[in-house]
Amino acid sequence: MTDTYGSLLVHVVVSLAFALSIWFASLLLGRIGTAFGVKNAAYECGMIPKMTIQPRFSVKFYLVAMLFILFDIEVIFMVPWAVCYRDFIVQYGDIILGSMLSFVTILMVGYIYAIKKGALEFAS
Amino acid sequence: MNPLFLEYTVVLLGIILLMVEAFLPDLDKKKIALAGIAGLFFVLFLTWMPLHSLSIESAPFYTTDPLALFFKRFMIVMTIITLWMSLDFIPVIQRGIPGERPGAGVGEFFILPIFACASLMWLVSAISFIMLFVSLECMTVVLYISISYLRKDPKTLEAGTKYLILSALTTGFLVYGITWIFGITGTTSIEHLADSIALLPPQSLTPLLFGVGLVLVAFCFKIAAFPFQFWLPDVYQGAPTPITAFLSIASKAAGFVLLLRFLEQLYLIPTLGKKVFAVTTLLAMMTLLFGNLAAMAQTNMKRLLAYSSIAHTGYVLMAVASIGAALALPAIGFYLVAYLAMTSLAFIVLLIVTETSGGNEIYCFQGLHERSPLLAAAMTVAMISLAGLPLSAGFFGKFFIFQVTFQQGHYGLLGVGTISVVAGIYYYLKVIKVMYWKQPSQGSAPITLSKLTTVLISLLIAVILILGIYPTPILMSLQ
Repeated sequence: MTDTYGSLLVHVVVSLAFALSIWFASLLLGRIGTAFGVKNAAYECGMIPKMTIQPRFSVKFYLVAMLFILFDIEVIFMVPWAVCYRDFIVQYGDIILGSMLSFVTILMVGYIYAIKKGALEFAS
Repeated sequence: MNPLFLEYTVVLLGIILLMVEAFLPDLDKKKIALAGIAGLFFVLFLTWMPLHSLSIESAPFYTTDPLALFFKRFMIVMTIITLWMSLDFIPVIQRGIPGERPGAGVGEFFILPIFACASLMWLVSAISFIMLFVSLECMTVVLYISISYLRKDPKTLEAGTKYLILSALTTGFLVYGITWIFGITGTTSIEHLADSIALLPPQSLTPLLFGVGLVLVAFCFKIAAFPFQFWLPDVYQGAPTPITAFLSIASKAAGFVLLLRFLEQLYLIPTLGKKVFAVTTLLAMMTLLFGNLAAMAQTNMKRLLAYSSIAHTGYVLMAVASIGAALALPAIGFYLVAYLAMTSLAFIVLLIVTETSGGNEIYCFQGLHERSPLLAAAMTVAMISLAGLPLSAGFFGKFFIFQVTFQQGHYGLLGVGTISVVAGIYYYLKVIKVMYWKQPSQGSAPITLSKLTTVLISLLIAVILILGIYPTPILMSLQ
């Protein structure tokens, strides 16, 4: 019993102690320095944590996000493709390359379409 | 010719048109639609070319049996009709899209159905769950875009959102069901599903049934059978009319092909067959009753057609429940062809009347025979055929299905079917009454039709009347 769950207990105790000590440390040390609004705010990777709930932002971002997903995810598809079919290249090399090429070609058509339709022109 | 070339040609056609649209923004959009129609006619011609046997890689996923070929032609014809009727829809598209240029977004409206057509052609050939799922999703994604195409119209947006959420939900059901079936049988093949099930120990049948149930839910959503039909009237009403026609005919027919391929395998196992038969019969009865009874109260033409499409799902489900009969498959094929002709005819008339009368309520059809005798005649033929009166394709469609049901001895189903036919006559003939016995509302002008539209309407009327006298060619191609 102690052998199996003992380590878990130690884990819980250590993590609790660590969290509590950090909390107390910040309580104690935080009073020493100067405190002002931004410094007291929660740190959110550089974003300002307090703002209006639904800020206005350019609709272009939405388009960029969508294009990013479209043209970025293909890499996630290509890596397993390259690894999985490595053993079959000798036998079915043409088909394997052909399938991926046709996929990329269709994607390329989409890319050309997006450019021609002005999806990447941010100035206007 | 490699059979896969059919789909490749359709995809290529779509891509070429998309590039033309991108590089020549000032081109007359009608030309894109006409090029699409011409290209699809060429592919339709190609389907009669002798086909090679498949290469070893694609054979487990893809079949070119008569059923697949028949429905490939069906899908191509439906896409042609959709593009053809979209020609009259151009002003509405222009009004419905917030674009900088007047022609913005019109070209894509003609190109999207072509991509949907390619995925539907893959779908009817799918004999593996993987192939089925990928092509089904491919079609649905195109439909998401097409249904919510007229962005300025809140109703269209509502329709798009409803379809997106419910369709995504049923996709979840489908994948989960496929997972269960794969987990128990160890195969994703639909073609050899019965062989794999036959090897299973009896206690595995219960979890298998769970998976089958989930997959059935997804298919029933596609064909809009009774408990899964709630999305249909709202989506039909909101979607652009040509897309409504496409959704109501092509997507539904594809759903039936999937259902057929899937249930055919389950019927081969006697213990499963009985349970599945009970479910299909129940679905058919409820769909028939709900569709017909709800259609009676409709005052909006598009909603009427939506409920009528639910009712027709019920009739086809009657034949699906009788799948063991030799003639079940030709009966279903013939019914869907008749359904294609009459429903698209009704939608074309609806589209033009909506354009010229400013609404798609039934009262907008008042005195249509004075405004345009051809349109009124076309709607009459469509309604008579939908009601299943003799000398129309719809009559033989119902006749074959009732015959098959009778041969299999499903008398309860037959009784419900008969009641629904009688109920159907009431609301279909109501439209004819409005067109001929009511005066046109004030200020409504005579309707002039373009030549192309006249040709399409006349062709469809001819098909309905000819199939109502001589149904053999369709039956033979599926036997």
